[in-house]
Amino acid sequence: MKKEPIMNFSAKHPLISLLTILLPLLLTAAATAGAAQTTLRIGISEEPRTLNVWKASDSNSNRVLSLIYQPLYTQDPETLELTPWLAESVPEWNPETNAYTMKLREAKWADGSPVTADDVAFTVRTIKEFKVPKYHSEWEFVEKVKAVDARTVRFFLKEPRATFLTRTLINYVVPEKQWAPLVEKARKQEKPLNALLNTRVEEPLGCGPFVLAQWKKGNYLYLKKNPHFFGQGRTINHRRLGPHMDAVLFKVYGTADVAIMALKKKNIDFLWWSIQPGYIENLEKAQDIRVFVSEKSALYFMGFNVRKAPFSDPALRQATAILIDKDFIISRVLQGYAAPMESIIPNENRFWCAGDLPAWGRGLSRSERIKKAYHHLLKNGYTWKRPPVNDAGEVVSPSRILLPGGEQMEKFTILTPPADYDPNRATCGVMIQEWLNELGIPASARPMSFGALLETVKRKHDFDAFILGYGRLSLDPDYLRSFFHSDNDKAGGWNMSGYHNPDFDRLAEKSIAEMDTKKRRKLIYRMQEMVMKDVPYIPLYNPSAIEAVAADRFTGWVQMVGGIGNIWSICQVKPQ
Amino acid sequence: MNLRKLILRRSLEILLIFCVILTVLFLLFHLAPGDPVSRMVEPGMTAEDAQMLISQLGLDQPLWLQYLYYIKNFFVGNFGVSFHYGQPVINIIGMRLPNTLLLFTTSVFLSALAGVFWGKIVAWYKGRPVDTAVTILSLVCHTLFLPWIALLFIWIFAYRVGWFPLNGMITPELWIDPSTGFFAKAADIAHHMLLPLLTLFIIHVGEYLLIMRSSMLETLNEDYILTARAKGLSEKRVRNRHAAPNAYLPVVTNVGLSLAFSINGGALTETVFSWPGIGRELIFAVSNNDYPLAMACFLFISLVVLVANLVVDVVYAYLDPRIRY
Repeated sequence: MKKEPIMNFSAKHPLISLLTILLPLLLTAAATAGAAQTTLRIGISEEPRTLNVWKASDSNSNRVLSLIYQPLYTQDPETLELTPWLAESVPEWNPETNAYTMKLREAKWADGSPVTADDVAFTVRTIKEFKVPKYHSEWEFVEKVKAVDARTVRFFLKEPRATFLTRTLINYVVPEKQWAPLVEKARKQEKPLNALLNTRVEEPLGCGPFVLAQWKKGNYLYLKKNPHFFGQGRTINHRRLGPHMDAVLFKVYGTADVAIMALKKKNIDFLWWSIQPGYIENLEKAQDIRVFVSEKSALYFMGFNVRKAPFSDPALRQATAILIDKDFIISRVLQGYAAPMESIIPNENRFWCAGDLPAWGRGLSRSERIKKAYHHLLKNGYTWKRPPVNDAGEVVSPSRILLPGGEQMEKFTILTPPADYDPNRATCGVMIQEWLNELGIPASARPMSFGALLETVKRKHDFDAFILGYGRLSLDPDYLRSFFHSDNDKAGGWNMSGYHNPDFDRLAEKSIAEMDTKKRRKLIYRMQEMVMKDVPYIPLYNPSAIEAVAADRFTGWVQMVGGIGNIWSICQVKPQ
Repeated sequence: MNLRKLILRRSLEILLIFCVILTVLFLLFHLAPGDPVSRMVEPGMTAEDAQMLISQLGLDQPLWLQYLYYIKNFFVGNFGVSFHYGQPVINIIGMRLPNTLLLFTTSVFLSALAGVFWGKIVAWYKGRPVDTAVTILSLVCHTLFLPWIALLFIWIFAYRVGWFPLNGMITPELWIDPSTGFFAKAADIAHHMLLPLLTLFIIHVGEYLLIMRSSMLETLNEDYILTARAKGLSEKRVRNRHAAPNAYLPVVTNVGLSLAFSINGGALTETVFSWPGIGRELIFAVSNNDYPLAMACFLFISLVVLVANLVVDVVYAYLDPRIRY
């Protein structure tokens, strides 16, 4: 058989092949060189789902919207105090009429038309008429809004409401001229709310520092500087505002690995998503990369079903709190990038977070925890055939715990999100399982798909214990009322554990109506003491927000609770 | 049975199977735990607000009524509105599908062409070192873990060497510039395609190569090959003109089905390369209980696969006169 050449390849047009590769590279380099100077390039993890301000619920949609729409008030990055933003000053309260009056700054929408009191009134009326779920509970107690004149707005409250300033007034204002016809159209549909939420807004008109110029679906969003931004050149809280760049470009990355490579290669200037601690060492070694580790207002916790045995007994919940080594979780699971929590309110929320709360197992060693938990349960009627602490005071392997009635405790599950969704919570579940087992408490951690977990815990209430978290809690602590008031123990309600305490309910109802901040704080402190004594939830940790920037491209990032991705940074960063 | 009758009969079967798939998908999604609203609520929202959302989405209606609406809407071409995007599902699929087809059908064709070319050669040299080496290499490539090889390629060729972009389908800075022309944009897309295409090519070429090799080895044992040699034809002619055409048939089946399945996009590929295709959307829709989007994606994939099966059978009959239905 004649031998055939294995391969007979001839590159007929090498020059054309070379040009096919080089041409886009050259074009890209030319385009990039022109655009990179004053464009802030931000990497995000997923494309925004919608720019409909009523509907947006994912974090990336909200990030983009925060550059387009603006609220009446915002928070100072250092003191977290309410700061007039679109409003000119702190609102005046008339206790006789239960009304707040505020005046708008001279501001314009991106098309040059003025922002008026009518826009504010329209925004509130739309929320109330359609009961827009995202905002409705914040405005429900506002009876009516009146545009007193072109720049003065008066809000009439049905009843005193402490959260009006801290939560209600930090919502966005929308332009009546753009939304009125859309709202009218939605009103005529069979399902008006659905129609409103599904309204496509290709060119959202806002009064923020940037305006949407291009959205190439699946690829990028390009926002240009709004020449009419009211903050341009203005000094608010001693901060002179920009923005100082011409545009912002949001680029979508499918994985954190590729996004980090893009940052290191300077394809982006800011990675606006929470980076896992494992990447920090690598980033810190990279040239001209700066890592920011910020506090968050978050809560990751273990919750119990207090509606039924065995966790209807606070002694068992308290023993669990003693056994959980939060310092271990923070150092080993979160690699030190988290803060321990001794209250439902993060420690970083210094004004509202109470001190002197029940410490349970704080500062104890492993064996000290076991001994303390053992004695606590013994005092409350629990027994063992073979106790975890022997007569010599040594910690030993115990038999299964016996309930105060004498029967053996049944095995129970701790539901957690799956490891691919949140490895930290999944690992916490396994650790807590082991710690409980050391005391003869038959726990078993069970990962469950997130949707199923929420349905089981929030709707069906068919669980023993769970580990969940809130990544972004309001700085106002009214969520204590949401989480623990007995009225919220219902299908879909936020009182997932089923905690019922009439004293707590009274304090919560009083706190929401208390307009004096210092008095309210005392009430909030007492509420925290009650919750941390009864521990329907055991707060575990508050993870840090880890973000990274190309330090040689932009400077002037403003760090505050939640990270550097905030309106102050956007308005203050300058190109190097 | 002639071809027309086959097509008619199979079309009816496709319709029936499709209706079964419609029902199964509906039940799977609606009976699975979790609901789309749970991802949309925040601690500030009350249970009543969440219930309002559920009601607006029609999820509070009895299941049988939701099913009837679903079937009726489907057959009038209304595939629903995505819970999370708030846009008609058909628009979302319409935006993403061309991107997926561009990447994955290109990779299928290139892999098939190369696989067929090399498969027939290594079969010809069966038992020789080149056959052993290429066969082993094909098996290794076919079993590579795609995300790993994809990230490795990105790290080497995009990050370290800089020959390719790190991710995505286009260079935003280029597309933002209004002076960028059509050809520059086309070249940009082609440039972005190269690395994911290379990754997919390496993963899949082995599959076609091995199929072609196996088919070729069977064909080489046929009598007409011996006759062709006995007639004094060159080895190259015997291989390419007599053996290979008959060995192509199993590859045709495989390519047809691969093309059909390519529309599901390969969620892993699209995620690692940030390729804006249908695969990533499908994963998001399933994870977030976005029923209309997820169901529409699966239905579309099912329909294409069903039709592709029929097309492959017809093409097979056309290519091989011995096949008659």
